[in-house]
Amino acid sequence: MSLLEPEGVAGLPGSPDSRVVTAGRVRGMGAFLVAIAVLAALAFGVATPAGAHATFTLGAPPAVAVAPLEMSVRFVAVVCALVCAALGVLLVARRGARGSYLIFSLGVVAFVWSFLTWAARGTDLNFVQMLAATLISTTPLVYGSLSGIMCERSGVINIAIEGQFLAGAFLGAMIASVTGDLWLGVLAGAVAGAAFGWLLAFLSLRYGADQIIVGVVIVAFCTGLTNFLTAQVLTPYQATLNSPQTFSPIAIPLVDKIPVVGPVLFDQNVFVYLAAVLVVVVNVGLFRTRWGLRVRSVGEHPHAAETVGIHVLSVRYRNVVLGGLIAGIGGASFTIGSVGEFSSEMTAGLGYVALAAMIFGRWRPFGALGAALLFGFSVSLQSFLAVLNVGIPSPFLAMAPYVITVAVVSGLVGRVRPPAADGVPYRRE
Amino acid sequence: MNDQHRNDAGARHRRLPARATVVLATAALAATGLTAGVASASATRATRAVAHASHFLACEVTDTGGINDRSFNASAYLGLQLAAKKIPGLKYTYLSSTSTSDYTPNINALIAKKCGIIITVGFDMASATQTEAKAHPGQKFSIVDFTYAPALKNVLALHYETDQDGFLGGYLAAAMSKTGKVGTFGGQDIPTVTIYMDGFVAGVRYYDMLNHAHVVALGWNPAKKRAKGSFAGTGVFTNDFTNQGLGKTDATTLMAQGADVIFPVAGSVGLGAAAAVKQAGPGHYMEWVDTDGCVSAPQYCSLFLTSVTKGIAPSVEAAVVSAAAGKFKGGNYNGTLANNGVSLSPFHTFANKVPAKVKTELVKLKADIIAGKVSTDPNSYPAS
Repeated sequence: MSLLEPEGVAGLPGSPDSRVVTAGRVRGMGAFLVAIAVLAALAFGVATPAGAHATFTLGAPPAVAVAPLEMSVRFVAVVCALVCAALGVLLVARRGARGSYLIFSLGVVAFVWSFLTWAARGTDLNFVQMLAATLISTTPLVYGSLSGIMCERSGVINIAIEGQFLAGAFLGAMIASVTGDLWLGVLAGAVAGAAFGWLLAFLSLRYGADQIIVGVVIVAFCTGLTNFLTAQVLTPYQATLNSPQTFSPIAIPLVDKIPVVGPVLFDQNVFVYLAAVLVVVVNVGLFRTRWGLRVRSVGEHPHAAETVGIHVLSVRYRNVVLGGLIAGIGGASFTIGSVGEFSSEMTAGLGYVALAAMIFGRWRPFGALGAALLFGFSVSLQSFLAVLNVGIPSPFLAMAPYVITVAVVSGLVGRVRPPAADGVPYRRE
Repeated sequence: MNDQHRNDAGARHRRLPARATVVLATAALAATGLTAGVASASATRATRAVAHASHFLACEVTDTGGINDRSFNASAYLGLQLAAKKIPGLKYTYLSSTSTSDYTPNINALIAKKCGIIITVGFDMASATQTEAKAHPGQKFSIVDFTYAPALKNVLALHYETDQDGFLGGYLAAAMSKTGKVGTFGGQDIPTVTIYMDGFVAGVRYYDMLNHAHVVALGWNPAKKRAKGSFAGTGVFTNDFTNQGLGKTDATTLMAQGADVIFPVAGSVGLGAAAAVKQAGPGHYMEWVDTDGCVSAPQYCSLFLTSVTKGIAPSVEAAVVSAAAGKFKGGNYNGTLANNGVSLSPFHTFANKVPAKVKTELVKLKADIIAGKVSTDPNSYPAS
């Protein structure tokens, strides 16, 4: 990923540069697919009574009506196991690593499909709603990881995303509640996030303070401040200060009528749409514009950038404030985009999960989106599995997103390389 | 009032200097200065309160849900406020726990403040309370949501048989459901939560049996074989009492799977469920938990069929009043339908929408449960 080489837009979600996939890892992925294929065939196929059926609801009024999909559990298990195993064998047998992650992802999808069919045996699963819920759980993570990308691509570690979330959620709820204008709430959230982005930039760029420590301090400060203000200000004046409306889902005409896809993608609230736009904008900005080239050069080799006339500190200042702004908007989505009220520590550590999504996505917007979708899916999956009563203990299901993180980061992504100057204070020579 | 901030800030200060540069230390001071300053000011005020109040200081340690959870922490605090209205000069304060590791330090901080009685809120605080109560036999405690066996002399343990009113809530939900599915979820898989869900499911099953209906309760599946007094099973839990987003996710899931009445047993996380039910639009209702939802979360009153409550505030108030009057007695208190320790709240906006027949049946059911004629164990009835 040299600076001087032209760099294409990241391809599929999570798909990294093919050059870093070793042959050994590809074979490992193939073996893994074969193993889960066997598991699917045995656990979901052989162990299930022949007559068991599962029904996936693919759209019910008021959304587009699509006939439900009724499947024999055993049949699906066998087909999916065969597909999964075939893809595994393909991975092991073929030469070259290009497309390995795509093949691996398809294999995993086949496995998950057969697992879901098994979990829903004898009953219905609202598949469309499950995907829609995935998107909703994904949204704040996308804002958080884009904020991280903006900062870290320019060489500043933003571990304060959680704090910027809280600040954005708090101020967004309060301003939207007082003014009755939701867009002012979004603006207030952005301002609050940007303010703490500026604080991070000020302390770490002006004084060269350790960025991790400053970040942790900002999170602690935001937590304490919002807790304090919640108890002292919001609670006594709940009705005026902490009762904002929330953004309603907006159906996009025509495309919302597409079966399955319509209700999932095109009937969401503005935060979801804005997140999608931001992913594209940041990606194009970083990899296709002069601005992006400058940002990346500052993040990789600030001294070289300085010698060609780029003002390193200004670039970093601007990016860290912008990153804070994005996180602040994401914070506002917790209140005015979701539950319509601020409560203490309501972001519940998602700022850190967003950071993990950024790393898992290799500091690329589409990669981070893919990672965030995976986390979002595991949240939604956990909820549906609990309702379907698959008999897996609830704390174990709650652990699932983190198990997936560990598995993915350790086994799949391999060694990830942050921007070379990430976290290193810049001093002119 | 805000000593929790002081504790937090203090802990962070202690950790920082070893690694921090002078600049960073300044930054940290600037960052935590505001809350620390405010907290120490309020600490001084509290100390003065102890010195001058000739009478009594009643204290509460909240669970992680915080003082404003519209649920049991808030109810216990309301109990303190009610007691203060009854006894002139009675002062009260609280400490928030942001994690389970705060319980013991918070209790100790309050012991040091010479609280006349310390109310600890929640099942999760049982062992911390027991340890401290044994270590300080002269300190009076009262714990919400627990029973000690054997009973402790200096702790009044307040327990509520919420399966009784949960049963009534389940019956009402089943009667009001149009889709034939109702749903519940909990904040955590602990007995004080699952006892509600258990009663709820039992009420639904009893409704089915009585009316030859097939209403299904989603979200809680009581174990078929279990010890007497156990509320074991599997179900939907947010495993979190602060993240309202998870409550919204779980409620949305239950509605996606067909439920049209949602009963969240998760404190403030239930507000996320309320947001989801509101968004789902007409035809979706819920029942609030612990307190009367139309009082504690009035913005969602139009969604609440009723609330399945437990009388935390009155029993905490009684504990504080008795301690202040020097008549405190440790032991176990059991709230039931019979002593109004648990109850179904008024129907509020649904007063005219709940059929008269159902209202009559609920009154009779309540009497039958009190008389022991109707069991609140879901395994007494066939699951549909």
